Amino acid sequence: MPNITFTIAKQTYQSTFGNKATLVLTILLGLSLCLATYVGWQNFKTQNNQRLYYKNMVRAQWLSKPDKHPHRMAHYGYLAFREKHELSFFDFGIESFAGVSIFLEAHKQNTVNFSEAGFSNGMLRFGEISIAMVLQLLVPLLIFFLGYNSISAERESGTLKILLCQNVSWKKLLWGKTLGIIGVALTIFIPLILLTILLWASLSNWQISIDATLRLLILILSYSIYFFIVSAITVLVSAFQRSSKTALITLLSCWIFFVILMPRIIQAIGTKIHPTPSKIEFADAISEDIQKQGDSHDPNDPHFAAIKDSLLRKYQVDDVKKLPFNYGGYIMAEGERITSHIYSDHQRQLNNTFDKQNSFTVFAGLFNPYLSLKQISMALTASDFKTYVNFQNQAEAYRYGLAQKMNKLQIDKISNHSPGEHEKPLSISKSNWAEQPDFNYKFDHLSNVLRHELLSLMALFAWFIAILLLLQYSFKWIKTI
Amino acid sequence: MKKSTSNLEFKLFFRNRSAWIGILVLLLTGFAGLYFGKTFIANQQAVIEKAALLQKKNTLDNIKHFNKDIGLIFFHNKFSTANFPDRWAAFSNGQRDVNPYLISVTMLGIEGQLYDTDITNPVSMLLGNMDLSFVYLFLFPLVIIAFTYNLISEQQESGIWSLLKSQTNALANVIWQKFLIRITAVYAVAFLLLIAAVIYLHLSIDATLAAVAGLIILYLAFWFAVSMFIVSLGRSSSYNASALVAIWVAICLVIPASLNLLLTQKYGVPEALQNVINQREGYHEKWDMPKEVTMKPFFEHYPQLKKYPFPADKSFSWFWYYGMQQMGDDQAIKSRLAVADKLAARQDFTNIAALFFPTIQAQLAVNELAGSDLNAHLKFQQAVRNQHEKIRLHFYPSIFQEKDIASTDIKSIGLKKFIPTKVHDWSRLLSLLIWILVFSTIAFRNLKGNALIRNTDTE
Repeated sequence: MPNITFTIAKQTYQSTFGNKATLVLTILLGLSLCLATYVGWQNFKTQNNQRLYYKNMVRAQWLSKPDKHPHRMAHYGYLAFREKHELSFFDFGIESFAGVSIFLEAHKQNTVNFSEAGFSNGMLRFGEISIAMVLQLLVPLLIFFLGYNSISAERESGTLKILLCQNVSWKKLLWGKTLGIIGVALTIFIPLILLTILLWASLSNWQISIDATLRLLILILSYSIYFFIVSAITVLVSAFQRSSKTALITLLSCWIFFVILMPRIIQAIGTKIHPTPSKIEFADAISEDIQKQGDSHDPNDPHFAAIKDSLLRKYQVDDVKKLPFNYGGYIMAEGERITSHIYSDHQRQLNNTFDKQNSFTVFAGLFNPYLSLKQISMALTASDFKTYVNFQNQAEAYRYGLAQKMNKLQIDKISNHSPGEHEKPLSISKSNWAEQPDFNYKFDHLSNVLRHELLSLMALFAWFIAILLLLQYSFKWIKTI
Repeated sequence: MKKSTSNLEFKLFFRNRSAWIGILVLLLTGFAGLYFGKTFIANQQAVIEKAALLQKKNTLDNIKHFNKDIGLIFFHNKFSTANFPDRWAAFSNGQRDVNPYLISVTMLGIEGQLYDTDITNPVSMLLGNMDLSFVYLFLFPLVIIAFTYNLISEQQESGIWSLLKSQTNALANVIWQKFLIRITAVYAVAFLLLIAAVIYLHLSIDATLAAVAGLIILYLAFWFAVSMFIVSLGRSSSYNASALVAIWVAICLVIPASLNLLLTQKYGVPEALQNVINQREGYHEKWDMPKEVTMKPFFEHYPQLKKYPFPADKSFSWFWYYGMQQMGDDQAIKSRLAVADKLAARQDFTNIAALFFPTIQAQLAVNELAGSDLNAHLKFQQAVRNQHEKIRLHFYPSIFQEKDIASTDIKSIGLKKFIPTKVHDWSRLLSLLIWILVFSTIAFRNLKGNALIRNTDTE
């Protein structure tokens, strides 16, 4: 008899929309969603255009550099800008707290600078309105307001007993109410998603990739599950609580705890247990390791003294100046190899520390569907920590490639006899600069993203199953009166 | 008679389980906030102490390595300046997690070094710091809402209201008494936490404490006034709870978040990226230009350095090198000032928004008092620039004359501590006061007037 379930769902849906206050709330939320979509899209466009503008400028400047010593070019370096993913207008994630540009030069790993947060005078701390924020925080609140009395009101007015006498089982009642409420939520969600798809398609000039399409589909599915979970919880709380008032208070308290309080406290605990090293300690640890392995900037370094000896022996010469290639370039290439390797090791450890800090929040997703959805949403819109780390890694790989490319040019094309104090410095043709390709950031494949978010996806799915079971079997413990 | 009823009301309130839950939540999160806030700042202090030692060690290492070449020593040697946290920073961490509190720069171009960030976890920054100011700003209002939303409606819903009405002709007094007990309870918890903060964070009893206490008193009073206003409309408990939570969500989340997005959109800071490019080009292009392109403006900038002989015939000299570095900074001045203008415009925008939204006002005020806001950081940046300039001018003569490093006092330069000047902007409290007056006046009129009575009669 699924008919009864649908009748209840339909009736719930209609009566919810018949309520003027609900209608106003829903329209307000719908409007704020449209606003969030529009502003999010604008924001994406301006920021990405700015980054692209400077990216092109940096490339043009690189190519226009005159003939010079390749090591000068290695120090001139490159500026890389973190591009936004086309779906990031949906969820801002950590975007505003992550740096935008990084200066890539020889011998030195710089930080990613100029995050939006660095320009913020504290307003940012209230959050940022985005489609994701509205869907994650406000739609559940709306669902609570719509559904807190879905069953308790029937109980209070005495119709609950009548319903249950008329061949309507608890199971059907719970399902019907849940479907009715989720119907209301979807009435807002579906047009919005269509708008999002349209916007996103136009953003990518109607050239839609399979990867992005799949991302969006999983995103829609995850949000739908989230709304289902929230709707069902609302109906269940309404069924279990004695009065509408206590049902509402319970739901609001849950919202505050799960959405406002828990995320902050969990992350604070994670950071406390796995503390972040300070920048000076980090740099000091790296320089200690470099001194242990070999410091090309230290003229007395044993590692480089040994290299020098072996080269002299191999080429049967008594002075490095007599070597058939540029000795300075060779040493710098070796130095770059060592330092870059050590740096990357330390950076990996640091990212592990951050991952450990964040794992508290990821695990908390098992107890808090909001947190698991948040992780999934950020990952799919490429506005999460993993994407940021990917950018850092790709930038470092590019930096290393650039430095070694310039060292190679020096080894091959620069004479081993350095000019005197008053002579013109050595240089190579500017035509070499074009050999160094532009920096182009590549987003991770969806399969990697999903693998990384497995726990969060499983947490959300576990919630889904648990809620299904509750809707099916929990009526045994509900008191009718 | 009056005293005994208030005693009864008092007992009634504290017999309620939710009253204790509310107080307990505030105390627990309050102490957690104190703990996490203090840990966060204590960590920064420890790093600053360590940085002072490391600077000494690194200077000695650099002297040992590059002993013969004074220009190279200063190429590598870093001088640190620390934004030393005020004790109040533990109370409100503000932007101290986002902005670096320790900036170490060499004598090379400052604009290429000043904006380097600290090692940070963006996820932690996104989720926000758990400090005591968060508890005051976000959680206290919720508890105030929980304590007051059913002040009148509960009586109506349980049928006591009509009884009360028939027995006393001073209904407003009864409500006021209930209200007063809740105010007392909330303020007692607020002061208890503030006293705990004074002891635990070793805060001194001064104007800042007075300002923070004043801010908290007014901010909580604002929420009581809003609560009272909604309650005075005489609607049902569910309506009151929904409306109050909606107001909380609006002015604690949605409106500030929307305004922030507007701010980002309206006052974007692409000049910061332009600044990096200007500095980089300003310096690097000089390598490929005749030396006087660098030295002429350099001597215009520092006429006092003209007296040192410039080795124009050498293909490379540190004199020229540091001159080129200076050109990077000089060519970035315009974009740097443009960034400063943008940030000032943002501050103005926020200050105006704060007049209308007490949450924003309170957040700005508390960060300002704790010296953990953006302005404090900008002052710190300026202090780093000043220190950098001082060190440059101090060591330029030795470098330009290629003196022996032993003849300089490089070893005596330690870590520079920057302590920001205190800002007490009492006018911020004024807007809070106005909002309190607006809401409490309307609430008072509703309670005194007919509105409430009429509503109850129709129910």
